[in-house]
Amino acid sequence: MTHESHGDSGPGDNVSGVSDGWRVLLDRQLGLLALGSTVVFVVASFVQLRYGSYPMTPAEVIAGLTDPAIVADPRVLAGLLLGGEFPDVANSTLILWKIRLPRILVGVMVGANLAVAGAIFQAITRNELASPYVLGVSAGAGLAVLVVLILVPVLSSYLPFVAAVGGTAAFLLVYAIAWQNGTSPVRLILAGIVVATIGQSLQTGLFFFAGNTGVVQTALSWLTGSLTGTSWSEVRLALPWTVLALTLAVAGSRQLNVLLLGEQAASSLGMRVERVRFGLSALAIAATAISVAVAGLVGFVGLVVPHLVRNIVGTDYRRLVIGCVFAGPALVTAADVGARLALSPIQLPVGIVTGLLGGPYFLYLMQKQRQLGEL
Amino acid sequence: MQTPDTNDPLTNSDSEAQPADSAVVGSDLEIGYASTDEPVVTVDRIDVPRGEITALVGPNGSGKSTLLKTLARQLGPDEGEVLLEGKDVQTYDQKALARELGHLSQENDAPETVTVENLVAHGRYPYRGFFESLGESDAEAIARAIDLAGVEDLREEPVGNLSGGQKQLVFIAMVLAQDTDVLLLDEPTTFLDLHHQLRVMETVTRLNEERDVTVVVVLHDIAQAARFADYLIALDDGSVYDWGPPTDVVTEALLRDVFDIEAAVRYTPDPEIVPKHSL
Repeated sequence: MTHESHGDSGPGDNVSGVSDGWRVLLDRQLGLLALGSTVVFVVASFVQLRYGSYPMTPAEVIAGLTDPAIVADPRVLAGLLLGGEFPDVANSTLILWKIRLPRILVGVMVGANLAVAGAIFQAITRNELASPYVLGVSAGAGLAVLVVLILVPVLSSYLPFVAAVGGTAAFLLVYAIAWQNGTSPVRLILAGIVVATIGQSLQTGLFFFAGNTGVVQTALSWLTGSLTGTSWSEVRLALPWTVLALTLAVAGSRQLNVLLLGEQAASSLGMRVERVRFGLSALAIAATAISVAVAGLVGFVGLVVPHLVRNIVGTDYRRLVIGCVFAGPALVTAADVGARLALSPIQLPVGIVTGLLGGPYFLYLMQKQRQLGEL
Repeated sequence: MQTPDTNDPLTNSDSEAQPADSAVVGSDLEIGYASTDEPVVTVDRIDVPRGEITALVGPNGSGKSTLLKTLARQLGPDEGEVLLEGKDVQTYDQKALARELGHLSQENDAPETVTVENLVAHGRYPYRGFFESLGESDAEAIARAIDLAGVEDLREEPVGNLSGGQKQLVFIAMVLAQDTDVLLLDEPTTFLDLHHQLRVMETVTRLNEERDVTVVVVLHDIAQAARFADYLIALDDGSVYDWGPPTDVVTEALLRDVFDIEAAVRYTPDPEIVPKHSL
């Protein structure tokens, strides 16, 4: 026998390392990531609040943000979140609270939802290069938006719902195509490609029927993802679902860890793999749909952020999901600074900037890591 | 090595085994894959005696892993049923099954950055609800499993830093944390160096002796099977060729008929198999 070394260590000794509770959050890498993300977010937000077609001094920004007419009045604050009257205030306060702040808040939710959705899809497909759009969401949402804008413009005011419904329908179609006595990561990805390819062709085809350039521009800003013009109504639309989706994602992170061991191991451990996989996919689709509904198809966030966070905190999804909730908003807020201010007064869709940041990041990874892809 | 009781049903393949003595029973099994028309494995009856180590042996492609997967409910049989403690495995709830029966497949994979301790903790999955965190009994089971597998010194290591043999022991610890009465292991020693092969088999033996766990283990190496198992089931081309204690099963005739080799077999009393040439 070669086991002399462990005759005495009885059960119960030194079990502290199995940190399953919230202590896992106190991990140093995750702490640094959260801190760094917060710094980026605060700096970017400050720039967003201060500059624009109505520039302000730092003092004006702070005075406006802390305007007692708003922050000291619970009814006004509740009105912002629930819809209601806005009091008569100074111009700077009005611009900060009605225009610039909601845009930042929408960006935060878009970033968090896309990053977490991407992280979930990367676990489900066991592929680091999966994005929130891997299961056909972009094709479905984009096609639905184009159909409405070009063929039934009377429904244009329902675009957020149209996009979410289109994306969800495409996801269900992908699942139906992939299903054959159950699914597998590879079948899901292939079915996603099938639906995305067809959706893409139909989208491009529809552009030929666009009546004027205004429609084309609206469509393009949906397809690339934009925060321009977002207001408190988008915040109100997305906030409850975002909170719900992110809470469930944190709660489901342990399931993702088990899923990463492979289907067979997960099912040997007692997981009903198909059910859990569908549930988690639906959760990720819901998070994606929220973001698509308020900002269109913002690219690369859901691909780059989980990747970046994984490089810092490791593959443990309990940490990864939380890291994504910090890093996603930081990236989107910073990118939106560029989208809104770089070519002022022209505002670019934020998706163009995230793409411009995301591409080089992967180039950097290709240089640095030899293995890329499989989780 | 335990001497088998001569009344044991397995020593006489003509008599029907009594279910009370078997932890797992498969009957009238026909097992195939979606890609094949004909069943890959056809077994009238297979008994896994309670509290013993049973080895499944046979050449490549004889259906050992397929049969094991069916016993573990990873692969549904086309015909027949598998009874675990007298109850059809198909009727078990997934988590309830994972509390009764542990199964480690041949190839295992885990993210490189996960620590040994966190990996072993996944063995507690079937005991936890969706929102439940690890409790005292979970922590004890994890510590016990790590101790049994002899991997305490690796607790904090990321899995990516381990050798193949160490990884296998860690995965075995994960299955042990499931705290099951029945354990199915698919070729746990293949590809390992001799030191780790022995450590794996010693862990299995200890588990069987100290905790009375019923073990079914697929082994590539027939000498190893003869040495460590109480019972052997020899498979040949998808059906049972012979079953019983090693001294009855491992014979020169078996090696000739099933493994297609000419070999000398001696018991001293440990089994010694000297392969001569292929047939």
